[in-house]
Amino acid sequence: MSGLNSKDFEALALPLLDPLYNFARWLCSDPGEAQDLVQETFAKALKNFASFQQGSNFRAWMFTILRNTFLTSRTGLERRNTTQEDEEEFEDLVAGVENPETILIRRADVELVQEAIAKLPPNFRDVLLLADMEEMRYQEIADVLGVPIGTVMSRLARARKQVRECIVVTLGVKQ
Amino acid sequence: MNCEWRQKAVLFADDELGHAEQEEVSAHVSRCAECASTVTGQMELKKAVRIAGHRFTAPAGLRANVLAGIPAKPRRRSLWQWVLVPATLLVLAALAFFLLLPQRHNESLLAELVDQHVTTLASQNPVDVISTDHHTVKPWFQGKLPFSFNLPELAGSQFVLLGGKMVYVEQRPGAELLYEIRKHRISIFIFQSRSDDKPVVRPDHPLAFTVETWKQSGLQFSLVTDVSPDDAHRLKSMFEDANKS
Ligand SMILES: [Zn+2]
Repeated sequence: MSGLNSKDFEALALPLLDPLYNFARWLCSDPGEAQDLVQETFAKALKNFASFQQGSNFRAWMFTILRNTFLTSRTGLERRNTTQEDEEEFEDLVAGVENPETILIRRADVELVQEAIAKLPPNFRDVLLLADMEEMRYQEIADVLGVPIGTVMSRLARARKQVRECIVVTLGVKQ
Repeated sequence: MNCEWRQKAVLFADDELGHAEQEEVSAHVSRCAECASTVTGQMELKKAVRIAGHRFTAPAGLRANVLAGIPAKPRRRSLWQWVLVPATLLVLAALAFFLLLPQRHNESLLAELVDQHVTTLASQNPVDVISTDHHTVKPWFQGKLPFSFNLPELAGSQFVLLGGKMVYVEQRPGAELLYEIRKHRISIFIFQSRSDDKPVVRPDHPLAFTVETWKQSGLQFSLVTDVSPDDAHRLKSMFEDANKS
């Protein structure tokens, strides 16, 4: 049992409010739904805080609750029924690396990158945002999403490849 | 274009290798143009995603609701706060109307910063990192922002640092630092300046707040306050000195 109380919970959890809400908005684009999702996440986390192991990864724990709560929501269920990306494994890892476009990425503005992220298949987007926005480790992402680490790596490579291509196509057309 | 280290270069850029391997790959990357380009490309994309991904900030109401759900820490909510909130909204609406109505769009940044300052003043939790010590406040932003900045030494001045928080203005992440002098507050906003930034244009009519903006070391600084222009200018100079490159 941990000796943590609700004050500790507040100190640990409140700094995560913005990141969790931000991620929730990416999960379900409706602001009201995202707010409900975050509130439910905090309520569940508080209720189960006693089972949280002191010293383990609180942020990953909160994101896991958020993601699982999302999957049981209406939007989450719809998404589970509609998304079935092929899951090619590890050998895909380098697919995300195409270099001559680096200069274009540098020129891309925030809105364009946001559009590119929004266009990703949801499973790829989750991995990309957790890796490159939340700066989580592969293992943390695997824990949050409940998938093998190889799946994390291949989704990440493919997500990066698609974002890159989207930016290159858009900027290429503009020129 | 198929160096056998490419896969490792990807892991290297993601900081997913053990210490020894990290050094080994680092040494290779410094010799191999292809892998160097792989690493740079990936870092660039990671940075773009990090900035673009931070898109939404939790609305104030959500914070209040979440806090209300956490027991044991009594929170005093006095009546005046409920009075203040609508009053603030009125001020905000008036300001937005005033600032935005006939103006060109590059004035909207200024309006957003004034809004942000007013919102901070009215907020129950005006800052996310509460400290009068700039040695505490500055590191708090590290890793949260894609840039860094210096905070001035306040010893010998009447300014007091209250803390800081992350802000998003025009979908750009930035820092807001809150200072106090003679019971009046000053917000300093710091963003990364972009090459396509238009100069911040002041509206023709007088503003309710003193606003100063300047660019320095690749950063866009803005100051919003109701203190005297002299005090505002003093703090601006201290920031300029602290951020000389
Ligand atoms: Zn190589």
